[in-house]
Amino acid sequence: MPKINPAEPTRRHALRHIASAATYFVGSFALPSRGQPTATTPPVGSINAERADQWRALSRLGYGPTASLVQTIESTSPHAWALQQLAAAHRASQMPPVVASDLQDIHAPLPQIFEGVQRERQARAAIKAQSAAAANDANDATRQRLDFSGPVEPLHFNRLMIEKTAVWRLTSCSRPELENPLLARMTEFWFNHLNVYIGKGPVRPFVGHYLINVARAHAFGKFEDLLLASARHPAMLHYLDQAQSVANGTRTAQGGTRGLNENYARELMELHTLGVDGGYTQTDVRELARVLTGWTIGPNMPDGFRFLLRAHDSASKKVLGHSYPESLFRRGEAEGEDAIRMLARHPSTARRLSLRLAQFFVADQPSPALVKHLGQVFLESGGDIRTWMQALLESVDFWDPANRLFKTPMDFACSVLTATQSAPERKSLLLTIGFLSGAGQPLHGWQTPDGYKTDAATWLAPEALTRRADYAMQMGKQADHLDFLLPFFSDATRQSVAQERPALRNGLLLASPDGMYK
Amino acid sequence: MRDDSNPSFHRRDFLGGLLAAGSLWATPAAWAQSGNRSADGRMVLVFLRGAYDGLSAFVPYADPAYYALRPSIAIAAPDGTALTTLRLDATFGLHPALAPLEPLWQQGVLAVVPAAGSPDATRSHFDAQHHWEIGQPGNSGAARGWMNTLSGMRAATHEAQAPTAGDARPTALGVGEANPQILAGAAPVQLIPRGQAATRQGVLGDTRTREAVMKLYAGQDALSQAFRAGADSRMQTAQTLTADPTDNAMGSKEMQAANNGAGTAQGLLLDAQHLGTLMRRDRNLRLGFLSAGGWDTHANQGAAAGALANNLGNLAAALVQLRRDFSEPNDVVVVCSEFGRTSAENGTRGTDHGHGNAMWLMGNRIQGGRWHGQWTGLASGNLHEGRDLPVYHDFRAVFAQVLRGTQGLKPADIDRLFPSFAWDNALDTLLKS
Repeated sequence: MPKINPAEPTRRHALRHIASAATYFVGSFALPSRGQPTATTPPVGSINAERADQWRALSRLGYGPTASLVQTIESTSPHAWALQQLAAAHRASQMPPVVASDLQDIHAPLPQIFEGVQRERQARAAIKAQSAAAANDANDATRQRLDFSGPVEPLHFNRLMIEKTAVWRLTSCSRPELENPLLARMTEFWFNHLNVYIGKGPVRPFVGHYLINVARAHAFGKFEDLLLASARHPAMLHYLDQAQSVANGTRTAQGGTRGLNENYARELMELHTLGVDGGYTQTDVRELARVLTGWTIGPNMPDGFRFLLRAHDSASKKVLGHSYPESLFRRGEAEGEDAIRMLARHPSTARRLSLRLAQFFVADQPSPALVKHLGQVFLESGGDIRTWMQALLESVDFWDPANRLFKTPMDFACSVLTATQSAPERKSLLLTIGFLSGAGQPLHGWQTPDGYKTDAATWLAPEALTRRADYAMQMGKQADHLDFLLPFFSDATRQSVAQERPALRNGLLLASPDGMYK
Repeated sequence: MRDDSNPSFHRRDFLGGLLAAGSLWATPAAWAQSGNRSADGRMVLVFLRGAYDGLSAFVPYADPAYYALRPSIAIAAPDGTALTTLRLDATFGLHPALAPLEPLWQQGVLAVVPAAGSPDATRSHFDAQHHWEIGQPGNSGAARGWMNTLSGMRAATHEAQAPTAGDARPTALGVGEANPQILAGAAPVQLIPRGQAATRQGVLGDTRTREAVMKLYAGQDALSQAFRAGADSRMQTAQTLTADPTDNAMGSKEMQAANNGAGTAQGLLLDAQHLGTLMRRDRNLRLGFLSAGGWDTHANQGAAAGALANNLGNLAAALVQLRRDFSEPNDVVVVCSEFGRTSAENGTRGTDHGHGNAMWLMGNRIQGGRWHGQWTGLASGNLHEGRDLPVYHDFRAVFAQVLRGTQGLKPADIDRLFPSFAWDNALDTLLKS
């Protein structure tokens, strides 16, 4: 490996060049700081407007071009294609997803997943009872990552579920013939908005099921149904501790008492719906937590949910001015549903979600007019996501070349996987999973409920850019020819790539500045 | 709703301010001459995201209310045995998992401000972290990070001293996060990834591939310039870290653990090591930023043992490591979170979002072996909104003491960093003069 030798003249020259570039970099422009408009000068040369629109549609309403997608979009206009995609994505969301036979576990009925968890727990307890050394050995299994051949050892259930979820996700984000690209995009948007973390023990095996049955299934339906599905899903019930939150003073089987946990109620208002300045108080947080007491996991129930009446706080409560009088019997469950639907329909929620949607699909700082318009459509349509999305696609802002978006690591990885059509090939997926972790956007791996940021201020960082090049060069080795990308790229990039050895060309195309924006 | 669409600051104003300030600093009365010992300090900030439970770390064991409020998660009062509080004085003790810090307390280089925080009462992690990182409690709009501004000040100082001005190398290093808000802004900063990834040159290590890639980024556009700067920085980082014998001395098992724990307190040790090595080798770097997640302990947080205890143990190991690398006269390490947790445990043996919290300071200039500022215990009449530790000391006032004492900042500079904060005389004991 060559080392930097400052004594060597050419090297020194190169370093000076880099240093002076860095100085210029400081003086005349800087990485977009948060909240500053990002530089709007495209790095790309003159690409005609039609091509730019095609790139935008393919890269934002999916994860970029394949040879076949390019043919499809060339046969119509980008605007028409976008609306066709919306209709197709909506239809697809109402059908079961394609889940490869070796990944079926993630989509299994919930009681079966709970059973797998239980079996792993028992297997671990049995080993622990033998010896501590054996317990350690069990963790260092010889099984290779992403190898799903052979029977599932009870001991590896959770581990396998994490890996299978990753394989399904990356495959569905990069194989347009298996999953509609816009549906994959919207699944990403909703999963990120209603984030759960795959690193939290009890959440692990449920993330795939949550992606498919919450984010994907409701991707273009009513927001309140999506929110409610999330609230009742074991992944969310575990993630924000709702499963454990009970009325203060509730007796446990062991004779102790348990009580309220505010976690879910707070994030439900702060992040999932109203927003931090959306008009709620600490009292509302506590009252909402009381309304939701008794909402917990139901390992034997088909939907994994159970309302535990004896853990419900049946005294009177008041959330955002809505009163819930003292209740008897099963009315307690309806209180929670009512509160969640009320939050979903709130004008603050419409505003917050519309800003997030516009930031995800249009620009880091979308125009207030667009956000306002989307907010109105959201409210008027009763939170109908398909109608809302159509308003976005029909807006001038979506197509405005000034509204640039820098790819997040997830965008970049999925666009590389899409261009190379290499999922679910094991080596490519391992590279991708590693890249995402190193880039700070591990798959399903954001610990806190705010979800990943999607702006250039977060992801455009000097050293991180060079790591995109690492990943691209490695992935380029696996790919067939990528000539279908050329019409979207600048003359400078095309010429530069053409001068290189054929073995490097695919990687260079994937690593080029042209592919960093969507 | 956070209004991200309304930038409240214009970079040009900032650059103008920087230039004006730079000329001021270049006058003979400049406060940051190389001979000025109180201006040569380095500062490392360790941010525990998610609000760590300070009442489990710096334990008010003498307060009966502490045990009444936390029947199942309080750390037992010191009795000299394992798994009880380590007594520091008549009021406070250390969590047993923080035992490695006890010698630092006894040496007088570790201090705590037990009831500090942001004067803004938000219980939103994300809002509160934003306030801390831009140095403006209550401002949820866009702004630059205060360590970036500080980094710009340090760079200007450096240029004023050195005849070869124009060498705008970063003075701040962030380890682990893609682009933390606290370092975001106009001044160049160095950002490296968590774990072993930081030691790899990757595609840049092969000359032919590197040259081919660099050609793609030969333009004068912003992205190309960023790429070139990143390539330079990354090669130097990887080379420094792989060449450094102390950095390589870390056991492979620890590295493995650290890598697996990316984003958690477990990964902190390796990141601390990388930070120390890079800042030792590049004397231009004066400011360091590290963070760890995993502190939002709403349920089953444990007591002397358990999830939180494990995190605290990892934190202690990282701080001991930082102490090795940051023990020059004016080096200071600060540990903090966006807010504290409820004084009482909740219904699930955890704690919910609170208000005031303990800030930790470590360094030779710190008046250590004692705690500073006001403390009124956990009796219900003394709690914020009847439930949380109050904030008696603005976090900015804590940093202001450090910045004045070890980074050579004048009041006007600190005002620029933390607009409209108030100097807190009660903290004047924090640093040795």
